[in-house]
Amino acid sequence: MSTESVSAVPPPAEPGEPSSAPTRRTFIATTTAVGGAAVAGGVIGGSFLVGSEEAAAAPPASRVSLTVNGTRRTVTVDNRTSLLDLLREHFGLTGSKKGCDAGACGACTVLVDGQRHNACLTLAVRLEGAEVITIEGLADGDELHPLQQAFIDEDAFQCGYCTPGQIMSGVGCIKEGHTGSPEEIREWMSGNICRCGCYVKIVRAVEQTADRK
Amino acid sequence: MSPQPQAAVGAPLSRVDGRLKVTGQAPYAAEHDVEGVVHAVIVDSGVGRGRITSIDTRDAEAQRDVLRVISHRNAPKLPYRDNPGSNNPPGRRLRVFQDDRVLFHGQPVAVVVATTLEAAQHGASLVKVAYDTERPSTDLHEAERDKPTTYARGDADAGLRSSAVRLDLTYQLARNHQNPMEPHATIARWDGDKLTVWDKTQWVVGTRDELVTVFDLPEESVRIISPFVGGAFGSGLRCWPHTVVAALAARETGRPVKLVLSRKQQYFGTGFRPSYEYRLRLGSDRRGRLTAMAHEMDAETSSYETFTETVMPAGQMLYSMPNVSQEYRTVPLDVNTPLWMRGPGFATASFVIESAMDELAHKLGIDPLELRRRNEPNEDESNGRPFSTRRLRECYTVGAREFGWHRRSSRPRSRREGDWLIGLGVAVGVYETQRNQAQARVRLDADGTALVETAASDMGPGTYTSQTQVAADALGLTMRTVTLRLGDSLYPPTPPHGGSQTMASVGSAVLDGCDKVRRQAIELAVEDRESPLYGADADDVVVRGGRLHVKGNPGRGETYRSLLTRNDRTHVEAGGSYAGASKPERHSFYAYNATFAEVAVDAKLGLVRVRRMLGVYDAGRIISPKLAESQAIGGIVGGIGTALLEHTVTDHRDGRIVNANLADYLVPVNADVPDVRAIYLDGEDRKADPLGVKGLGEVVHVGVAPAIANAVFNATGRRVRELPITAEALM
Repeated sequence: MSTESVSAVPPPAEPGEPSSAPTRRTFIATTTAVGGAAVAGGVIGGSFLVGSEEAAAAPPASRVSLTVNGTRRTVTVDNRTSLLDLLREHFGLTGSKKGCDAGACGACTVLVDGQRHNACLTLAVRLEGAEVITIEGLADGDELHPLQQAFIDEDAFQCGYCTPGQIMSGVGCIKEGHTGSPEEIREWMSGNICRCGCYVKIVRAVEQTADRK
Repeated sequence: MSPQPQAAVGAPLSRVDGRLKVTGQAPYAAEHDVEGVVHAVIVDSGVGRGRITSIDTRDAEAQRDVLRVISHRNAPKLPYRDNPGSNNPPGRRLRVFQDDRVLFHGQPVAVVVATTLEAAQHGASLVKVAYDTERPSTDLHEAERDKPTTYARGDADAGLRSSAVRLDLTYQLARNHQNPMEPHATIARWDGDKLTVWDKTQWVVGTRDELVTVFDLPEESVRIISPFVGGAFGSGLRCWPHTVVAALAARETGRPVKLVLSRKQQYFGTGFRPSYEYRLRLGSDRRGRLTAMAHEMDAETSSYETFTETVMPAGQMLYSMPNVSQEYRTVPLDVNTPLWMRGPGFATASFVIESAMDELAHKLGIDPLELRRRNEPNEDESNGRPFSTRRLRECYTVGAREFGWHRRSSRPRSRREGDWLIGLGVAVGVYETQRNQAQARVRLDADGTALVETAASDMGPGTYTSQTQVAADALGLTMRTVTLRLGDSLYPPTPPHGGSQTMASVGSAVLDGCDKVRRQAIELAVEDRESPLYGADADDVVVRGGRLHVKGNPGRGETYRSLLTRNDRTHVEAGGSYAGASKPERHSFYAYNATFAEVAVDAKLGLVRVRRMLGVYDAGRIISPKLAESQAIGGIVGGIGTALLEHTVTDHRDGRIVNANLADYLVPVNADVPDVRAIYLDGEDRKADPLGVKGLGEVVHVGVAPAIANAVFNATGRRVRELPITAEALM
C-alpha cells in the first residue's frame, strides 16, 4: 500500500472557534486533569464544558492524522465522531456500513493496523498514526482481492450490505489463521451478521481463499 | 416468432452487480452523494400512550450546528390525502407531528436537524418531552379482539365430534422483526416544488404515491430513487413515517436532509411479523385421513390500522379434508403497525399445521411423510380449481432419499451421541404464486447493446442478474451487452418487490419488451433488400450473440449493429408489459417445499443446535440457479432464527420494546448455521406466467420452523408449541 498525497479534509464543524469557547488546547488540558470517565460524560452530556451561556460554542474537536487505504489524511474532527462516521460522512468512503452502530453486527468491520475493528465503536480521535484499510482499499487497482473474487464466485452475498464487513472480517480471519476447519471459520466469522443468510457460502469463500495462500 | 435459444436463463451465473457489492461501491439509501445535505435525528416518544403536554427544545436549539427542531407545535398541517391502492392497511395512518397524541412507544414526537450528524444526535438527546401518560395495552392475551374474518366448508365441529382421533392444540408465536442489515434511511431534497427522495424501499411507486398524497403534490413532482436495497424481508413494502419526516424537515429547513433510523428505531419505526395465538383442533380417522380442522387465530395489530396477512389459505388448500372452519381475529394494541415479513401468513400457518400434522403422525404411529401423502388433495378444495402444478410427492421422495430420512427413528429420544439427543423432522411449506401488472422499457442501440429500465427493486434476490438473463436471451445478446436499471419511480411501474412476484411479474414484462424489440429488428431485416435476411420468414429468424440469422442456417444473417447502422436507426425500443394473473383464475397457483431438519439437543441444558437442513422445492422454472440456491439457503437460515432465536419482547407496563438491538434480539450468526442444502425440482409452470416461474423468496422460508420443531420433538420427546423454542422450554 503506497502512501500518496497528504489530504487535509475540512473538519465537520467550522474550524474557526469563537474566542469565548474553550480552545482545543484548554479542552484537552481540562479533560486530562479531570480524567477519562469525565471526558465521556462531559462530551456526550454536553453539560460540563459547554455551559448554557456558551451553548453555541463549537463542539470539542481534535486534530488527528491517520492513513486510510494508503493515503495519509489529517483532519480536525468532532471528538464524538466514530471512525465509521468519519469514513462515511467525511471521507465519502461509504463501503464500510452502519448496521447497528453498537458493535453487534460487524457491518462496519475495517482493519486498523492489520487487526479487525468495529469502526462504529472506534472513536476517530484515538487513531493518531493508525493505518486503516477499508473495503475500498482492498483491491489492487482493477484486480480484486482473492476474497472479493471468492465472494462473487461463491455467491456469498445477496443484498450486499454486510458484504464489505464480511470481507474485511474474512481477511482478518485468514490473517489470524482461524481457518483450520469450517467449524473454526464459522466461529471466528460469527461477529458479522448476514441477514440474507449467506453463511454457508461465506465460509466456503473464506476457506478457499485461505487454502490458496 | 421462433423461440429464442436459452443461453443465460438457467445458467449458474454470478451476480452482475457482484463487483459493485464486494468493492463497497453499490450505493444504498443513505450513501447517495447529495450536495449540502444536513442530518436529521428523530426524537422518539418515551411513553406508550398518552398526550404530549410540553416539548422543551431550547437546549437542543442552542447547540451549535443545530438548524431546527420540528414537532407538532411548529410543524405545518400536512394534507394527508387518502392513498387508495397503497400498502397502507385500513385505518387512519400515523400523521407525523400533526397532533399531541402518542399512540405507541417510540412514535416520532420531534426531529432535530443539524449540519453535523453528531450535533443532530446530541440535539435529539436534549429535547425534553413531558406527557400525560396512560397505560398502554400491548398484551395480545389481555386485549379485546376485533370481529373475525371467517371461512367454512362442511361442518368442522360435527366433523371433529365424529372423528376417531382428535387433537386440540394452542400455539404461541412471537413477534419477529425483519431486521435487514441496512437500516431504513431517507435523503430528501426539494427543488422548488419538486421532491427527490433517495429511500430504502421495496416499492418506489408506492413510496412516491404516499408522498404525493401526504404533501398533496402532483405525481410528476415526486421522484423516488432506490437502486440498491440492503435487505428488507418486507420492511420496505410501505412508506414509513420517517420518510415523511425527512421530506418535511427538508422543506422546513430548505436543505437536503438525510435521516437514518437507528437500529433501535427500526423496531418501532418500521413493521414486524405480528405475534399470534393460534388454536388448531384437528380430527382424523385411525388411518390418518383428515376429517376436520378448526383454526382460531388471534394476531396483533395497531390501534390505528388493521393489518392482516394471508394466514388463512394454507389451512384451506394444503391437505384434503371435508370440514374446515377458520376464524381470524386482529387484536388492536398500542403498538406500531405490523407489516409483512418473509412468507407472510403462510409461515405462521405452516408452523401450526405442520407441527400438528407431526403430532398426529406420532399419535397414529404413521411416518410423517406417509401421513401427508394420505392427505394429498387432487384439487384445491377451497375453490375446486385444479392445481397448475403441485409436486409435493416428488419433494417427499427426493428429500427423503437425499436427507437419509430412513435413518429417523419413529420413537422420540432414541438416538443419542454423548450429551446430545439427535432428531430428524420434516415439514411442508407453501406460498401463493402472485403475479401482478408490471411494465418495462427496452432499448436496443445501434452499437448492439441494450438498456432495460423498470421501477422494480433488488433487495438481495438478484433482480439485476435474473432480469438481465431474461433480457439477454430474449434479445439474443450476451449478458455483458445488456444493462438493467432498477429502483427509480421515473421508470415504468411495477408491483411491490415482495410476495415473490418480481420474477413472474417484472420478468414477464421484460420478456415482452425484449420480444417486441427483437421482432421489430427482425421485421426490419426481412423487409430490407440489403439484408441477407431479406425475404426470410420473420418467424424463422432467431438472434444469438447480437446476430440475427435464419434458424438452422447460421450463415444467413447479420448483426443488430450492421442492420441498424445501415438503416440509419440509432436504436429500436419498445415498452413491455404484463397484465398479471388472469381473472378469474382457472387454476390454483402455489409453490411448495418439503424441508428436512436434523437437530442435536443437549439433554441437560436444553440447547438446540441445528446440524443439517435440506429444502426440496417445487417452484417452477429456475431462471438463475446460483442465486436461487442462495435464496433457499437464506430462507432456511431465516427459519432457523424464527424457530430458535427471534422474539421481540415488549414490557407491557410501558409498551417499550426491551430488546430493540442486535445483541438482545438474536438472529442466526455463522456458528448457528452448519450444513444447508437446496434442491429445486426441474420443471416449469407455464400456466402461471410466460416465464413459467412460481416465485422463490417466500416459499423457501415457509416450513423451516416447523421442520426444526418436529426434529426437536423427535430428539427429545418434548413438543414445544411456542416460538422461539428456547432452552427453558426443553429443560
